[in-house]
Amino acid sequence: MEGKHDVLVIGAGCSGMRAAIAAYDAGADVAMVSKLHPTRSHSGAAEGGINAALGNAAEDSPEIHAYDTVKGSDYIGDQDGIEILCNEAPGDIVQLEHWGAVFSRREDGKLAQRPFGAAGSPRTVFAADITGHVLIQVLYEQVVKRDIPVYEEYFAWKLIENEGRCQGVVCWDLLNGGLKTIGGKTIVLATGGAGRQYRATTNAWACTGDGMAMALHLGLPLKDMEFMQFHPTTMYPSGILITEGCRGEGGYLINKDGERFMKKYAPNAMELASRDVVSRSEQTEIDEGRGIEGSIWLDLRHLGAERILERLPGSRELAMTYAGVDAIFDPIPVRPGAHYHMGGIETGNDGATELTGLYAAGECACVSVHGANRLGGNSLMETITFGRRAGTAAAEWALSNTTISVPQSAQRDAERELQALLDRAEGERPWKIRDELGQTMLDNFGVFRREEKMMRQEQILQELRERYRSVHVEDKGTVFNNDLTQAIELGNMLDTAWCMVQAGIARKESRGAHSRPYDYPKRDDENFMQHSISRWAGDHPELSYKEVRVTKWQPEERHY
Amino acid sequence: MDAALKIWRYDSSTGDRALKEYEVDVPEEATLLEALDAVKDKVDGTLAFRKSCRMMICGSCGMRMDGAAVLACKTPMKPLVEAGRVPTISAMGNLPIIKDLVVDMDPFWAKFRAMRPYLQPGYSEAADGREHLISQERMNAIHKESLCINCGCCVSECNAMESDPDFLGPQALAKGMRFVGDARDQAKVERLEEYSGEHGIWECTRCYFCTERCPKGVDPREAIAKLGAEAIREGIASDMGAKHAKWFVTSAKTTGWLRETELVPHTQGVVSSVKQMKFAMKLIRHNKAGITFPPHVAQDVGESRKLFNLVKTQGRDGFAGIVQGERALASLAHGYDPGRDPYDRPDAAPRPYIAGEDGDPQLASGPGGSAGGVGSLTQADVTPGEEPTKKYSDEQPGQEGEK
Repeated sequence: MEGKHDVLVIGAGCSGMRAAIAAYDAGADVAMVSKLHPTRSHSGAAEGGINAALGNAAEDSPEIHAYDTVKGSDYIGDQDGIEILCNEAPGDIVQLEHWGAVFSRREDGKLAQRPFGAAGSPRTVFAADITGHVLIQVLYEQVVKRDIPVYEEYFAWKLIENEGRCQGVVCWDLLNGGLKTIGGKTIVLATGGAGRQYRATTNAWACTGDGMAMALHLGLPLKDMEFMQFHPTTMYPSGILITEGCRGEGGYLINKDGERFMKKYAPNAMELASRDVVSRSEQTEIDEGRGIEGSIWLDLRHLGAERILERLPGSRELAMTYAGVDAIFDPIPVRPGAHYHMGGIETGNDGATELTGLYAAGECACVSVHGANRLGGNSLMETITFGRRAGTAAAEWALSNTTISVPQSAQRDAERELQALLDRAEGERPWKIRDELGQTMLDNFGVFRREEKMMRQEQILQELRERYRSVHVEDKGTVFNNDLTQAIELGNMLDTAWCMVQAGIARKESRGAHSRPYDYPKRDDENFMQHSISRWAGDHPELSYKEVRVTKWQPEERHY
Repeated sequence: MDAALKIWRYDSSTGDRALKEYEVDVPEEATLLEALDAVKDKVDGTLAFRKSCRMMICGSCGMRMDGAAVLACKTPMKPLVEAGRVPTISAMGNLPIIKDLVVDMDPFWAKFRAMRPYLQPGYSEAADGREHLISQERMNAIHKESLCINCGCCVSECNAMESDPDFLGPQALAKGMRFVGDARDQAKVERLEEYSGEHGIWECTRCYFCTERCPKGVDPREAIAKLGAEAIREGIASDMGAKHAKWFVTSAKTTGWLRETELVPHTQGVVSSVKQMKFAMKLIRHNKAGITFPPHVAQDVGESRKLFNLVKTQGRDGFAGIVQGERALASLAHGYDPGRDPYDRPDAAPRPYIAGEDGDPQLASGPGGSAGGVGSLTQADVTPGEEPTKKYSDEQPGQEGEK
């Protein structure tokens, strides 16, 4: 074994680093495994902000935050989890500030807070439009301070279950080659999302659902996989994110005529309705011919140069670089793009999964605090609050008992499988399958969903999985062989996509990000106010349902 | 479009380096990163380079194009293709190559860690559990430094590091300034002492290549200047570089001219100066240096002294004196024409309006104009088929549950 630790965190974005810091502070020997250097994690690309009811800009409370979140979730967020998030968020934000996070400030020196979609009060703490970057930096600084070891550029491939516990992981060492086994009394998965299943996505190349797939293949339940959030303002054509903060700062969405079309769809909240609503409105405008070459416009011109340069300089730079547009003078072409997985590995409120010793936090997990639709600014907060809770819980369990035992067979089996993959002398290169997956998921499992298209997509996925069986890794070497890891990532995306589409077909209603205007346009609380649960049954996912945890708020109609 | 590239390939198992040319078909808007992706996917799967976010925030894809560091994801291919250029892509400089375009970042991170790169606030927990109160203006002092994405482009181009591989370098020093300039950090003096040591602040050659090549506008050279100014303000000036800088200030204050003759003894000390006498005589013989004693005093030295006193009384003699307006910098980085009109241009997008309200072109066209588009509430609203009924602000959020 390469190493043994009390707590082993897989993934080193915001959730992973926050979990590792919490486990360290609880007294555990902790290490992280990541296929990237920690500061390269995709949490760093988050732009707009992080929600906590500090009440700095206007009256606010954790209760109002919780209500907004429950309503935003279209009533399948688990309300006890949501209350924990909203109650603990202010303390966690203050903690980050004390660690040195470079947040933007108000005139009175307090943390500034901006309005965000579907929020009853301006509660989004931010650092201009690079909030995720600032958080990644401050968390990494704290990791360095604690000297927490990181297995950098180790690609986690297979979780090891032994004696009913998760006790380690087999990784591919990117820099030196070879499989390495690392043991942990407890393992925390913090591997992020899988947006790369879609061609138009805000997600990094690294977001391939590795953690979800590892858990799935171990027989663990994935929850609410049909709910993929489409962010309303991803740049055309690159899919690169333009923050909701642009609308929070007062930006407009207009169609080709200049009309602020949100008036028709959400007359009160307008551009700041929840993301599912805004994305559907945009898609409708585009589908009905009022778009601009498959996009609509995000118009910041009226904000003026000064405000754009002070509050949204990063967005301006992104638009200049990737769309050739200076937002001071011209609107930015945007469209809905795959952004965030509301679903993920089912966990309790302390990150524990069904398998003893295995925890999960952040986008790869599903507590669920986002239900069918996540509010902007809530996911960064989730990474911090639930990262901390998972790290603490994993440390406590690891410190109170057990030794690590990993059977030799775990790495041997993985080595055999790896060799078979590398020995294949010919076959299809992964990119073709990857591109087809991305295009068909966008066409058939996007903002609006039709029964027949979803059925077709399920077939396509099976065909792609069949082709994947003969995927060809061209690089046979040991040094920085990411041709190999990219092939493995593709397999992860195919299997998790199947869970999503299967759950989508079965959910015969419209709720949050799952919208079926042609056959089931309404929410059906009687039959579907439930979490969908996907489990891997040998070679295919199997679907079941689970109750939503309700504390205070009964479902009502959502209007913005 | 067809894009051609030459890539320096490196095979660590054999130590072979070879320049290979590739041609790929990429979309018009493709970046260098997408061109490399196309090579790896369709031509040669063994090509190694790092990538992740493809939106210039993760810092993975630093590399050299025609000898200068770039982020591949920030570099559009179209201008190159149009100019008929075939760029040569190679790994970053000043870091050992592992394979192709992948470098060993360990030396980079070792220097990062040497800065003690974490806030040292000098307390454990604020009493009232709230944030520190700091003005945005005060935070702006470290705005640029906190933009750093650790991509290594500055380190790749650093001339000082090329001659002294142990030089802390632009990235680490900029990170250091991020803490020295942070009002919440209580370890400023200790930091400045550490950063002023051998291989530290004063080893920078001021070539500005770091600032030139930084893809994020961090401006590491300015960060190093700020560190130097603050170190001197704190009386940390035992390094020759600091003494050298101080003598410039003394010269300006006393004579208004650079007192060159005394510069060497004041920088390097008397012993070293004596040892260099022979060299100095040679310079004098060739009219390359002169001995002016007593030093020549500028006619309007009073102006120079006034300036010195002004800086002192304004308290702008440390890093604060070097902080530039962030907005000025932003517009410098991406200049824009303030006279350009966002709306009244032939190619401008239409002015925004709300259907049925002022500005609606349908209303302006007289009676009979429809107020609004075709509308598709049934497809787009959250609860299709239902008219939105009440204002959000009319609701009492959370009320239902509290009954």
